[in-house]
Amino acid sequence: MALSANLLAVPAAGPLLTAALILLFARWGGRTLIRHQIALTTLALCVNLVVAVLLFRATAVQGERFVLQLGAWSAPFGITVYADGLSATLLLLTALVSLAVYPFAVATIDYHRARMGFHPLYLFLLTGVNGAFLAGDLFNLYVFFEVLLMASFVLLTVGAQPAQTNSGIRYVVLNLLASTVFLVAAGIAYGTLGTLNMAQIAERLPLASPAVRTVFAGLLMVGFGSKAAIFPLFFWLPASYHTPPPAVTALFGGLLTKVGVYTLFRSFTLFFPELLLSWQPTLLTIAGATMLVGALGALAQPGIRRVLSFHIISHVGFMLMGLAVALSGNNLAIGFGLGAAIIYLCHHMIIKTALIMAGGAVELHMGSDRLASIGGLVSRQPFLAFLFFMAAISLAGVPPFSGFVSKLSLLQITLDTRHWVVSGVSLFASLLTMLNMMRLWRESFWGDYKRPSRIPSRILQSGLRQQLMLTPVAVLVLLSLALGIWGEPAFRLSMQVAQQALDRQAYIEAVSPSTQFSTRPANGLVALSGTDGMNSPQVVAGFATPTLFISQ
Amino acid sequence: MISLLLAFAVGSLFASGAYLILRRGQIKLILGLALMSHGVNLLLFGSGRLIEGRPPIFVNKSEYAQTIAWNLPADPLPQALILTAIVISFGITAFVIVLVNRRHTVTQSDFVHGELVPLLREGDPFDFSNSSETDQYDWLAYEVDEVYDSDEILPGLPPLPPSERDESTAMEEDQYQWP
Repeated sequence: MALSANLLAVPAAGPLLTAALILLFARWGGRTLIRHQIALTTLALCVNLVVAVLLFRATAVQGERFVLQLGAWSAPFGITVYADGLSATLLLLTALVSLAVYPFAVATIDYHRARMGFHPLYLFLLTGVNGAFLAGDLFNLYVFFEVLLMASFVLLTVGAQPAQTNSGIRYVVLNLLASTVFLVAAGIAYGTLGTLNMAQIAERLPLASPAVRTVFAGLLMVGFGSKAAIFPLFFWLPASYHTPPPAVTALFGGLLTKVGVYTLFRSFTLFFPELLLSWQPTLLTIAGATMLVGALGALAQPGIRRVLSFHIISHVGFMLMGLAVALSGNNLAIGFGLGAAIIYLCHHMIIKTALIMAGGAVELHMGSDRLASIGGLVSRQPFLAFLFFMAAISLAGVPPFSGFVSKLSLLQITLDTRHWVVSGVSLFASLLTMLNMMRLWRESFWGDYKRPSRIPSRILQSGLRQQLMLTPVAVLVLLSLALGIWGEPAFRLSMQVAQQALDRQAYIEAVSPSTQFSTRPANGLVALSGTDGMNSPQVVAGFATPTLFISQ
Repeated sequence: MISLLLAFAVGSLFASGAYLILRRGQIKLILGLALMSHGVNLLLFGSGRLIEGRPPIFVNKSEYAQTIAWNLPADPLPQALILTAIVISFGITAFVIVLVNRRHTVTQSDFVHGELVPLLREGDPFDFSNSSETDQYDWLAYEVDEVYDSDEILPGLPPLPPSERDESTAMEEDQYQWP
């Protein structure tokens, strides 16, 4: 079955329209209306999952690329929406994670937060994330980043408890600064290369002066890296992730930093693959520091969710390590590193969400997540304890689960490229992860049953609520197990995705930004290569808009 | 010349924005963010062509050919980008103002508490808040009291014993001494 490229509009437009519909009756929602909101949101999430599966089958499995030029305006002028295997993989995982967190959210979000628009905000966040994965030009990427940031700001602070507002300010300010840096990069790209279309930037960047390339790459690295929470830029994450309700933390932990990781993958493979070699020492140092700081920081944290959110940083370091060796390889194929990073990304999104949900269930049952004051839950909630244990050993990388496959493949490529130090650091970080997971398990499930809050928690005692909270965790743990057991086909698939992402010529041809106006850019690029000022090289840009009017 | 001026303007906006963000007052924080977004807008403006008196759109081919033979046409795209960026930064600034206002009513202080609190309090280097631990779990008590009493959204919760139905006593009972 051939898919229409129009399908690409669904992941961004579907949740957006549903959220707009829900907003009509969000604010004065009585309980019946909130039930309607829940039904509509579930419908939108299911549609999103179906579309994501279709796109994944067509792109990652069959190797197609989809380009949708909105309004049929051809590439550099209109809005380009693009999907290949990498985007579709992330779309699929996003759909899975958001659908899995949603029952948990329904079971645990209180009436007041629901009335203040939790359900439409959930969909707005999904719109932003999906749109960022599909964006084909830098400015739309910025817009979708802002959409997801805005939704995440409100999700983080809705309820307006003191801790939430405190952490909200740090989160908002640091993320806004990152967005500002990214927007500066977009402005510099337009000023020097005369385009914002990602395919056209990829086409013209090799001809630009090294100064432009370095500045552009550095700004993108800072902007995207701070979204992804890499080493010196991660401070917003541990300051904020433990304050909202656990459902929100699970959603954020599954989705938000991964948008930054995706944009890092995309920009390094598409815009400046040569920097993957020349910047490799820097990237590997940052990756090692990220891993180490994340794992060591988690060790110092007093609460379940704080430990888990600090661990996100450590995992981002692993993905960055895979990206850094994407173009290297002695015995292994070029692109092995990126494939390993992609499968690590899949593993991380699935299992981190499951673990934060399980930890959130513990916290909701106990009334607190401070490890010092809770304990002994295994006797009361054996199924939850089982799920938490499975998720924890999967995160630590114990064999039958996906953590083993992904960590092993990353280790293989770093050893193959003889980066001994960083592979040692990654092993040490894995050990610390194991230590942390054991600590969480021991403190919250073993020992005598103690519970700091004296308000009886009935949230895990109600049958329906318990099912809503624990079934998605079980599904995600099973997915992780499947990813580990069928590790080889999964890895072959992710290698295919990585090869597709590294093939930048095919990306450019698929979007084909300048085929219809092939006479002009050739002259313009000569002028471009010699200039690096802010105003001089608009030779190229000049042809963009006016030519369109001539050709009609 | 004009581009040099613009570069200075962008630079000074960024510098003063960064300075204001690094201050402790929250109003200064908002002003700093606003100045930075203005800086980016000006930078986007400068990424277009800084020329005057030339049209961006041509109706016929010959006029266009004539114009670019002498000079470049104007570029309308940066204005569209700036407009979008302004709208976004406007919305976000409004949100930050509301957030700061809410925080002010909660903590009765304009300052972000940070420097004077011991950094390694309770083993969390990033928690600079002066709120006590019980504050952190306010929302939990809130939920237990307000929401899980009702079976209306999702049926199936066992009812609270009558002694714990009273919200005020439940809150009092929850004055747990944190170790």
